[in-house]
Amino acid sequence: MKISYRWLARHVDLSGTSAVDIARELTLSTAEVEGVERFLPHLCDVTVGHVVQREKHPDADKLSLCRVDVGQGEPLQIVCGAPNVRAGLKVVVATAGTTLPGDFKIKKSKIRGVESNGMICSERELGLGVEHDGIWELGENLTVGARLGAALGLEDWVIEIDNKSVTHRPDLWGHRGIAAELAAILRRPLLPLDLTLPSTGGGASVGVRIESDACSRYLALRVEGARATRSPLWLKSLLLAVGQRPIDLLVDLSNFVMLDLGQPNHLFDARRIGPQGIVVRKARAGETLKTLDEVERKLEASDLLICNGDEPVALAGIMGGEGSKVTDDTAQLVLEVAAFHAPTVRRTSARLGLRTDASARFEKTLDPELVPLAAAHLVRLLQAEQPAVKLTAPATDVGQWTSAAKTIRLRGERVRMLLGADLDDAAITDILVRLGFGVAKDGAGLAVRVPSIRGTKDISIEQDLVEEVGRIYRYGNIPEIPLAGILVPPPRDERRRLVRRIEDRLAGSARFHQQISYSFVPDSTIEKLALQSTPHVEVANPITEGASRVRRSVVVSLLPLLEPNRRRAAEVRLFEVGKGYEPVSAAEPTERHEVALALARPARKANARFDDTSLALLQGVVEDLVRSLGLEACSWSRCEAAPSWAHPGRAAALRIGARDALVGEVAAIEPGLARELGLAGEVESDVALARVSIDALLDAAPRARRYSPLPQFPSTRVDVALALPVERSAAEVMAALERCGKGLVRGLELFDVFSGERIGEGRRSLAWHVTLSAPDRTLNEADVKKFLERVEREAVQLGGELRGE
Amino acid sequence: MTHDAASVRALLGEILAALASASESDETRSLRERLERFVAHSDDALTSAVLLEASAAPLGAMRVFPKEARGLVGAKANAIKQAALAALAEEEQAALARALAAERSHAGFDATLPPPRQACGSLHPITQVTRELEDLFTSMGWTILDGPEVETEHFNFDALNISPDHPARDTMDTFWVRTAPGDTRLVMRTHTSPVQVRAMRRLQPPFRAIVPGKVFRNEALDASHEHTFHQMEGLVVGQHVSVGHLIAAMKTLLRGIFGREIEIRLRPGYFPFVEPGFELDARCPFCTEGCSVCKRSTWIELLPCGMVHPNVLKAGGIDPEQWTGFAFGLGLSRLVMLRFGIDDVRHLLAGDVRFLEQF
Repeated sequence: MKISYRWLARHVDLSGTSAVDIARELTLSTAEVEGVERFLPHLCDVTVGHVVQREKHPDADKLSLCRVDVGQGEPLQIVCGAPNVRAGLKVVVATAGTTLPGDFKIKKSKIRGVESNGMICSERELGLGVEHDGIWELGENLTVGARLGAALGLEDWVIEIDNKSVTHRPDLWGHRGIAAELAAILRRPLLPLDLTLPSTGGGASVGVRIESDACSRYLALRVEGARATRSPLWLKSLLLAVGQRPIDLLVDLSNFVMLDLGQPNHLFDARRIGPQGIVVRKARAGETLKTLDEVERKLEASDLLICNGDEPVALAGIMGGEGSKVTDDTAQLVLEVAAFHAPTVRRTSARLGLRTDASARFEKTLDPELVPLAAAHLVRLLQAEQPAVKLTAPATDVGQWTSAAKTIRLRGERVRMLLGADLDDAAITDILVRLGFGVAKDGAGLAVRVPSIRGTKDISIEQDLVEEVGRIYRYGNIPEIPLAGILVPPPRDERRRLVRRIEDRLAGSARFHQQISYSFVPDSTIEKLALQSTPHVEVANPITEGASRVRRSVVVSLLPLLEPNRRRAAEVRLFEVGKGYEPVSAAEPTERHEVALALARPARKANARFDDTSLALLQGVVEDLVRSLGLEACSWSRCEAAPSWAHPGRAAALRIGARDALVGEVAAIEPGLARELGLAGEVESDVALARVSIDALLDAAPRARRYSPLPQFPSTRVDVALALPVERSAAEVMAALERCGKGLVRGLELFDVFSGERIGEGRRSLAWHVTLSAPDRTLNEADVKKFLERVEREAVQLGGELRGE
Repeated sequence: MTHDAASVRALLGEILAALASASESDETRSLRERLERFVAHSDDALTSAVLLEASAAPLGAMRVFPKEARGLVGAKANAIKQAALAALAEEEQAALARALAAERSHAGFDATLPPPRQACGSLHPITQVTRELEDLFTSMGWTILDGPEVETEHFNFDALNISPDHPARDTMDTFWVRTAPGDTRLVMRTHTSPVQVRAMRRLQPPFRAIVPGKVFRNEALDASHEHTFHQMEGLVVGQHVSVGHLIAAMKTLLRGIFGREIEIRLRPGYFPFVEPGFELDARCPFCTEGCSVCKRSTWIELLPCGMVHPNVLKAGGIDPEQWTGFAFGLGLSRLVMLRFGIDDVRHLLAGDVRFLEQF
């Protein structure tokens, strides 16, 4: 919202206070100021000139050759093309070096062979109007050589206020409201303004019938003898300063009153309001109205209409209708000033995408007591410009409004406690009175009378008044007070501790990069995973089409990152700690805390080692991760319910503890998905993915951490290779080897896996380093021999054989 | 005894004389000849091998000398042996010194030759800054809380004094979750503030808590706007908690973030869940006269804060007459950008390893 310094000065004495001062004061006490700019800075560069001589240009019929006195030295020779230039006129001169709007630099030049030392300007060239019927003829009384801005009092600054910082303050949506704040801050009086309605004739008033409670007050007033003439300079310049385009006196004054008092209003051509009068009613579904911007609006039953009888003539509080607007030949007006239900205006305005200065104000909940004041203001301003304007009939002022004025009890003690500032009741009273509140003693406290204009929305409880006192007192004057209290360590946050350890392990020794992703998953990813029919938490208004679903699992967030990152690096190691959501009918969704991991490397070479796969490496990372957390023992098993991103046959489940709780899955990527994700051709990759449930890890019991004595006797290493049917899992083999050791096995390390002709169809060989040791003696050859004999028997029992040692 | 070549030579001369005076056998002759050859050809750089042979041979072959010469030869030979060993040790020392000197020579080393790259992982910058703040606050006895990203309308709005008709619901650009009519209405939480009321219901006052987390706004993306970003809520509820306490806590927070005293100012800001509400500006830590970060104002708008609205305390089951509190909402994403000089917020969640590995 733009605020004009000069406009504010109509309401409060600003002498000695600059626009920059005002910006600072408002920022610290009232609202955020986004900036201060000079209004039409060139008005202070152009000067008042006097045309002392005018001749025809020797070589051009339509051009004049003028000598213009600008108060300095010899009169300047200026070529002018305007038809109304003549000797004796006071004009505006832009001398060489001046820049006019549109970055138009005035230079000395030759026009049809004749030197011209500047330009005589029109209002439009100065940015002060749209008329272009010649140069601007200034008043006789202006001093030659004076700067135009100063001579006409047009110097102004525009203060831009952040609208968001005043959404709760309907009173600040006009200059008088801002001026009232400044008056309170600067301890200056708010200048009086006569807002009584001039006397009216006894004619027939406009009939008004309110049929909806979305309109609490409606004032209609016949105004006769007004003409849509050109607005005076004072009005045009103020409107221009705040970014409004001047149109004609009637429209401009209507806008002026809105921007002055914050109360929108509307002028109808009285010829369009018939004998049935005005009816305020809700729209009927399917009804339409062509608004002033010439757009046909489709209405709904929630919209509020102003009607001529039954015919809609305006969209209440938003925009007038094209059919009833004021035109050049309008002589009789009906002035509307009303109070509308804020949410009704806001919803209609939002639905139609039609935000106007009026709707922006109505949706803040305006004070119904402003209605007659704004009407009076408009009439008085109009009569000042056009004394012939008459009010032929009394105003119709109907509705069931309630004043928002109220009395709130305020305890000085409460102010001091909440602010932490030492303010006595007298200082509190002083501030509130400056702000326009009435203050009376009320026992130990104060009874504060809140005027209606502050009571519609902003001020309703004691704490609101504490803010009023604090902001005028200035928060910067409040001393800082360290928080004190009995310090107890906050309760241990097990999940956060666990997450930190996970993050540190993965970013540390595991060398993974942590990613944080959006919670939304693109539909394209959902489709690639064939999860379209799986229920997701879904937003109704996504930022873009196809980004409405919320991830159920964190793993899916990493999938789209694989291909672009693989194009840039051979190996991609990513992890994310985050939340997934699963919708639950009629309740809050289930929240899952997960770690997702992705490891992508160039496709595997044919002669790679058996354990040189992304899957094996990632299993190692996950196992190390879980082991590092100091939890119960975990074990791998075949993943029976592979997630959609997992290769159905190459997926392992990690289970933990005595209850065998599922901690997560590690799997090679589903091969079709890999292709869908673009992991083909030069970025064909060996990808493994993992999901680890933080919830499951939190449920797992911690492992008792105890020292085990260091071995006193040397251990013996034996290598064994067993050729077994492929159905025999490594877990079975390890269990068998443990059995064969009869308590002597200290370590089992798989060092080779192979199959082939030598091993036989349907069989594979698993080769192990077995470490044997006894706590009480050094093992001898006989021990090893017995172990191997047992292994040989076990191998046969498992359907295979001991191939070698 | 000296061990130089001249003294060795002199000793050898004495042995040769002794040999010459003895009756010659084949053995003594050959020995004598070898010694003579040695004396004739040897230069000052005596080799240990020759010396040893020269000295050890007489010892092993003492019996070839006549009885009367054995004493002298033995003594002399022993002297030669000692001299030779000493010379050898000296020579070894010198050789070691030469070898060490050669090893210590820096020739051929280029300290700037890039070492093989040690691959490493990284913690996300948001994690890093969050941890710093968590550590700062927990050290002062604050609790860290977590809340759901998919939040109920009640906690996100109603409980925070944002009524259904409140325009703040529009300005917050909410993502609404599709739910069946009549079901609990859900949103992607627009701020971390809903955890305020959840915390009040869970914890007994007095308490202090922070809530880092992800929040969502239905905003178009550009270099400084994201629809998903990170915030950290702070909440203190206690007896006689005042604006003065809030100011002190915020200054402590900024000291923690920037490592030095930062001037702050509070100015009015409007948020329905606080009253009074403030915008907290910090003196720009990057300049003194205005820069691009502070948009030439020397102040950075850092966080909204305020005294908890009595209606919010009531929604949390806390009596606003007995307890007061303050709350703040720090923009973590923005802080991360300030801290690391990141110019485009979209990098934070994009998952480009070239970005992630910088941290």
